[in-house]
Amino acid sequence: MTRPVLVTGLGARCSTARDVPSFTAALRAGTCGIRTVDGDALDPGSHTLAPLDDFDLDTELAALPGVPAVLRRSASRAARRSPQPVRSALLTALEAWLDAGLHTAPVPGDRIALVVGGTNLSSRYVFEQHSVYDRRSAHLAARYALHVQDTDHVATLSQVLGVTGEGCVVGASSASGGAAVVQAARLIECGAADVALAVGALGRLGPLEWQGLATLGALAVPAADGADGWVCRPFDVDRRGFVPGEGAACLVLESAGSARARGVGGLARLTGYAQRLDANSLSDPSVAGEARTMNAALSRAGLEAGALDYVNAHATGTPAGDDAELAALRQVLGESAGRPWLNSTKALVGHCLSAAGVLEAVATVVQLRAGFVHPNPALRRPVDGALRYAGRTAETARLEHAMTTSFGFGGFNTALVLRRC
Amino acid sequence: MDETTAFEAVRSSTLEVLPELDPAAVTLDGSLSDLGANSIDRTEITTLAMERLDITVPVTEFHAVRNIASLVELLRKYG
Repeated sequence: MTRPVLVTGLGARCSTARDVPSFTAALRAGTCGIRTVDGDALDPGSHTLAPLDDFDLDTELAALPGVPAVLRRSASRAARRSPQPVRSALLTALEAWLDAGLHTAPVPGDRIALVVGGTNLSSRYVFEQHSVYDRRSAHLAARYALHVQDTDHVATLSQVLGVTGEGCVVGASSASGGAAVVQAARLIECGAADVALAVGALGRLGPLEWQGLATLGALAVPAADGADGWVCRPFDVDRRGFVPGEGAACLVLESAGSARARGVGGLARLTGYAQRLDANSLSDPSVAGEARTMNAALSRAGLEAGALDYVNAHATGTPAGDDAELAALRQVLGESAGRPWLNSTKALVGHCLSAAGVLEAVATVVQLRAGFVHPNPALRRPVDGALRYAGRTAETARLEHAMTTSFGFGGFNTALVLRRC
Repeated sequence: MDETTAFEAVRSSTLEVLPELDPAAVTLDGSLSDLGANSIDRTEITTLAMERLDITVPVTEFHAVRNIASLVELLRKYG
């Protein structure tokens, strides 16, 4: 008998929101953060993305309600000089930490684990420093050796939050966030931790990554005729690629026993999860792999697919990706294909890459709790009419069971099953 | 390079890394450690000062620096 895993805290930050309350409002309103951003000296190309504008850490810490002064000082001292991805991860982790009441009803530091999802998070930072180095090598940022490592996320968050249990970075391409949640849940189930933070980290793309993705033909380019402004169109016959997004998110997972002992209620229960490989190094998705992963997660949850009320799909808006996922969902849901609501958060906030799995798990918990399905405003003509798509405005819905998926280049698949508490 | 120029580079770099400091607290006869700079902060302050002055000081030279005055002196030597 494994220990039940609850979600006791949420944190989120992306192009449309600085925290979970504003994220909830933006989801409900169907606010889209995608725009075309002009180039700069470092990267002259203009890009279509859902950007997270840069921010001053101290200003954002002051805007986060209820941060104890000692925690605010510690966060500022540890990360005000850090690249934006680390500052973003820290703010979402702090938000989730406070949401879970870990500042008022604490858990011993060595019973808390920290799993950060995402690798190659410093691509843009490396590119920036490259030009400094080329000009005069001695002027390379003094903290480069620390900041260039993805593990700097774990190190910084652990210092600020006093986490002394297990900690690591996990990578699974665009499914890294999902993989982080899976690993965090395992640490709780096996008794290695009572609380585990799963952080989906922001990876800012540098010019080389933009070029590389463009070369693969994966990126959506705005229609020449500017057709109704929607660039990212999951499930729509006019889908034409994905739009990168910038964001970070955090889920606090906790054993039911620990939450009870602290007098903290669960926001949702993580009833099932799965991670599976396709044995494929390329970028093409696998219907069989995705279906196997969804079935494994549902099986772990002890849930019939027909009992799902809501699916937050990976659905990036690429033809191959959307089609594979729809086929996998048809397979998994069988006769219940038309039952659960289906939408894609990426239509609103872009594909937040490493962070997507966690950010979309936060979106799923928010919708379970508030009883609504956020819109997919870009969807006009679905490619497969058998499923129940979210419409152009939010739908009120009583939701009990939900699944959220993430898939990544190289055959990485994850699925999480969540239940309203 | 005169002492004022080198000191100003150190002072502004110190305040960039440790913004909560009272600017008047950074003096020639003080030390970065006493101002609350850890070893990484000190490395960052010296790197930023080099960048401001557009000079290169070999990294081994910094080992002998004990206080702000000797840091300023070292920067002037290479300025």
